[in-house]
Amino acid sequence: MSGTRDWRGLLFVAPFVLLYGLILVFPLLRGLWLSLNQVDLFGAGHFVGAANYARLARDPIFAASLMNTFEVTLMIVPVLTVLALALALALNRATKGAAIFRGIFFSSAVLSVTIVTLIWRFVLAPDAGLLGDLWTALGWTPLPFLSDTHLALPALALTTIWWSMGFPMLLFLAGLQQIPEDMYEAAALDNASRWTTLWRITVPALRRTIVLVVMLQTAAQLQMFGQSQLLTAGGPSGASRTAVLFLFETAFAQWQLGYASAAAEVLFLIILAVTVTQYWATGRATAQGK
Amino acid sequence: MASLELKGVRKAFGSTPVLDDVSLTLESREFIAFLGPSGSGKSTLLRIIAGLETADAGEVWLEGRRIDRLPPGDRGVAMVFQHYALYPHMSVRENMAFGLKNARASKDEIERRIADAAAVLEIDPLLERKPGQLSGGQRQRVAIGRALVKEPKLFLLDEPLSNLDAALRLRTRVELAQLKQRVDAAVIMVTHDQAEAMTLADRVIVMNDRRIQQVGPPMEIYTRPANTFVAQFVGSPAMTLSPASLVQGEGEFAALTLGDGTLVETRVPRTSLPAGELRIGLRPEAVRVARSGAKAKVELVERLGERTLIYARLADGQPITAEDSGNSRVRIGDEVSLKIEGASAHVFDAEGAGYHRAES
Amino acid sequence: MARGRLTPLGWVLLVIGAAIMLAPLVWTLLLSLKNNAALVGHSEAALHGPYTLENYAAIFGNSLTTRWLLNSIIVSLGTTAGVLVITSLAGYGFARLDFPFRRTLFVIVLLGLAVPSQAVILPQHQLFAWLHLHNSYPGLMLPGLVAPFGVFFMTTYMRGIPIELDEAAMLDGASRWTIFWRVILPLTIPAQSTLAVFTFLGSWNDYWWPLISATRSDMYTLTVGLAAAQMNYAQTSGLGYLMAQAVFASIPIFIVYIVFQKQIVRAMAGTNVR
Repeated sequence: MSGTRDWRGLLFVAPFVLLYGLILVFPLLRGLWLSLNQVDLFGAGHFVGAANYARLARDPIFAASLMNTFEVTLMIVPVLTVLALALALALNRATKGAAIFRGIFFSSAVLSVTIVTLIWRFVLAPDAGLLGDLWTALGWTPLPFLSDTHLALPALALTTIWWSMGFPMLLFLAGLQQIPEDMYEAAALDNASRWTTLWRITVPALRRTIVLVVMLQTAAQLQMFGQSQLLTAGGPSGASRTAVLFLFETAFAQWQLGYASAAAEVLFLIILAVTVTQYWATGRATAQGK
Repeated sequence: MASLELKGVRKAFGSTPVLDDVSLTLESREFIAFLGPSGSGKSTLLRIIAGLETADAGEVWLEGRRIDRLPPGDRGVAMVFQHYALYPHMSVRENMAFGLKNARASKDEIERRIADAAAVLEIDPLLERKPGQLSGGQRQRVAIGRALVKEPKLFLLDEPLSNLDAALRLRTRVELAQLKQRVDAAVIMVTHDQAEAMTLADRVIVMNDRRIQQVGPPMEIYTRPANTFVAQFVGSPAMTLSPASLVQGEGEFAALTLGDGTLVETRVPRTSLPAGELRIGLRPEAVRVARSGAKAKVELVERLGERTLIYARLADGQPITAEDSGNSRVRIGDEVSLKIEGASAHVFDAEGAGYHRAES
Repeated sequence: MARGRLTPLGWVLLVIGAAIMLAPLVWTLLLSLKNNAALVGHSEAALHGPYTLENYAAIFGNSLTTRWLLNSIIVSLGTTAGVLVITSLAGYGFARLDFPFRRTLFVIVLLGLAVPSQAVILPQHQLFAWLHLHNSYPGLMLPGLVAPFGVFFMTTYMRGIPIELDEAAMLDGASRWTIFWRVILPLTIPAQSTLAVFTFLGSWNDYWWPLISATRSDMYTLTVGLAAAQMNYAQTSGLGYLMAQAVFASIPIFIVYIVFQKQIVRAMAGTNVR
C-alpha cells in the first residue's frame, strides 16, 4: 500500500530513536574519543592519540587477561554446545518425565550471576564447600579450585557451564521440533541405524541452530565478568582475570578512563571479528554443501 | 447524475505499468463488475477508488465530489475484502461499530444500524461472537454487514465468491443479488469469474492488459464482444476462432469460407469489414452435430447432462467446439458432420476487433 | 518428537546430570536453614538437622535486603513497562508507516545489536554523572529502555499482521494512532508478554549497569546487593545467613519462571515444545 511519506511516522519511532541516540550512539562515539585521551576521575583529559593502544599492546596484564578470556571461552563453548545438544536430543519427547527433566536443566538459567557465584563459591571452596566435603568424606584432599592458578579458570568454566545450559538446550529443542517427520521416516525405510540417523540427518538439519548457539555463546563468554570478579577476584595473581574484569578494574578502581576505553574498543573489535569470522566460515561451509 | 466517474487514471508500480488511461462513468445504483484475468489491473483500480492506492494521474469523482485526494475513511466508500479482514480480537458487533465510532456517530444510531444490518443478513445470533468462531460464510456476511452499516454511496467487493466452495457460492450469489435490491448505492465487484460477473452485474467492464476492453450489459458483452480477448474470456467453453476468407460477391452480408472450404453465411454487413486477414468466431451453441455439414474428427467428449460438448478438429486441422444433445452418442475418434449456424457467427479482423450481425 | 527409546546408560547419565544440576541448589538451601555458628568450620553439618528459619527472619529484620528487593522490583517493572511502550511505538512506526529515513534508521537500530555493553559503559557512566542520574531509579532504568532487540522483535511481529486489517481500518475512518491503539496493539499481546518476561528477567538479573551506577548501598538492586554481601563476607561466620540471602534473591525469579514458563519456552521455540 503506498501512502505519502509522512513526517508524522517519525513521532512513533522518536522516543526510541532519541533514547537510542543518547544512550547508545553518543556513548559509542564518545568511547572512541575517550580511548584517544588520557582521562582520570575528574574528567579533565588531554589528547594522547594512539598512546593508550600502544600501552595496551605492551601491557602484560591486559595480554594475560585476553589469553584467559580466550582460554575460558574455548573451555566452555564446545562442551556447552555438545551437552546442550545431547540433552535436547534426549529430552525431545512429550512425556511428563521429559518435561520435568527439561525444567530441572533449565532452572539454573534464570538465576543472576551473583546468585550463581555465591552458590558455587560454596560448592568449590575446599574447606566449606560441597565438593570439598565430598572429597574429604571419600578420603581425598579437596581441590583448591579457587586458589590454584591452574584450577581457577576451569572453576569458572565449570560454574558457567552449569549456569548456561538452559537456553542453548531450548534453542536446540526448538530446532529439533522443526525437522520434518518425513526425513526420519525415509531414513527408517532406508534401514538407517540410530547413530547414522543422528549424524546424517539430525545434526545436519540442526546446522543453523548449532551455528547460532556457538556464535551467541562465544560472544557471551568473551564478555565474562561476574564469575571472574566474584568467584576468584581474577586471581590468584590474575590467573582468572578476564578482559572485562581488566576493563572494570582499570576504569573503576584505578580511574584510568581513557586507558580502559581503549581496552573496551579492543575487546569490541575482537568480539566483532570473531563473530563475523564464525558467520563467514559457516556460511562458506554451507555453500560448499559440507 | 453519474455516481462514479474515473478520468484518465494511470498507475505504475515502480517501472511496471498497471493501469493505462482508464476512464469510465457509473450511473447511480448500478451494479458493475470489473472482469478480467489476474494482472489485468482490476484490483488496482478498485483500490484506487477505495483510496488504498494513489493513482499517478487521473481523477476520481463520486456523486459530484472529487475524492481521489481524500483519505479512504472520508470518501463515502465501503469495501468487502477478499479475505474479509475482520478484526480478530473484536466481536462481530464491535467490528461493525468500529467505523461508526470513528465517525463519532451516536450510540443509538450505531445500535440501530447494527440491528438493521444484522436482521437483513441474518447474523443476529452471531453479534457477540468473535470472527474466529464463525464459519467462512458467516464471516463474509459480517464483512458485508460492516460495510452496510456505514451506509456508503459506493460498495466495493473484492472477489467476493472466490473463497467459497461451490454450494456456498451459489447461496452467496443469491444474497448479493438481494443486496443489490436493498441498498441505495452503486456496487462495484471485482472478479475473474465471468459467470459471477454475468449473473450479478448490470454492466460489465472487461479489463485486460491494463486497459478497459469493453463496457456493456452482460448480454451485449456476450453477443457482441468488442475483440477476440472479450470473445474468448466470456462464455464457457470459449468461442472457437478460425481463420476464414471472405467470399467475393455483392450480397448485403459477408460470406466466408473456413480453412476446410466450408461456407458460412453470416449476418455481418459486408461493407463493415476491413481488408486483410479475418477470423470467424463461433460459440459452441452455434455449431451442432447434424447429418450433413463440415466434416470433423472428434478428439474429446464432455457429457454435462443437459448438453454434450464435442471438441473436434476440422479437415484442415483447425480445432472447433460443438454442442450436441444431452444423450448424444458421439464418441472419441468418430467422424461427425457439424452444421454451423452462420447467423450467429462473429467476424474478427487482423487487429482482433469484432464485427457482428446488424442489430434488428 | 521422541527418537526411539533412551538406552539405560542414557537414563543413568540423565539422572546423574540432573543430580549435578540440582545438588548446588539443594546445598544452598540446606546451608540457609542452619544456624550460623553450627556451620563454622563444619559446613557438612548442613547435611543433617537441626534446621532453623532464623536466617530468613534476620533478612526481614534487615532493612537493607528488603530495600534491595524493593529497588529490584521498581527498576525491573519500570524498565519492562518502558520497553513495552517504546518498542511497540517504534515497531509500529517501522512496520507500517512510511517516513523519511525509515530504512536507514532501522538499519542503525539493528546495528546496535552488535554492540556489547562494555563498549559503551564508560561514556554512559560519564553521561549519567553529568546528568546527575546516578543512584536514582530513572538512572537505573534508562539504559534498559534502549533495547534494539525489542524493536526488532516488535517490528517483525507487527509485520506479520495482515495489512488488510490496516486497510479495513482506514476505510473505517481510523487515524494512524487509532489503528495502532485499537487494531494492531491488541493483536500483539503474545509478543508483548514474551518481551515483557525477557526484559523483566534481564533487568532483574543485571549485574553490570546497576553495579556501576548505584554506589550507595541503599540504591543497590538485589543482584548487586548480594554481590556486595558476598564480598564483605568474612570466612564461614554468617554462611547460613549469606545462603539465606541467595535463596531469598532466587525466589522472585523462580516465581516468574514458573508462572511464565510457557512464554519463555514458546519464545525459544517459536512453536510449542510440548
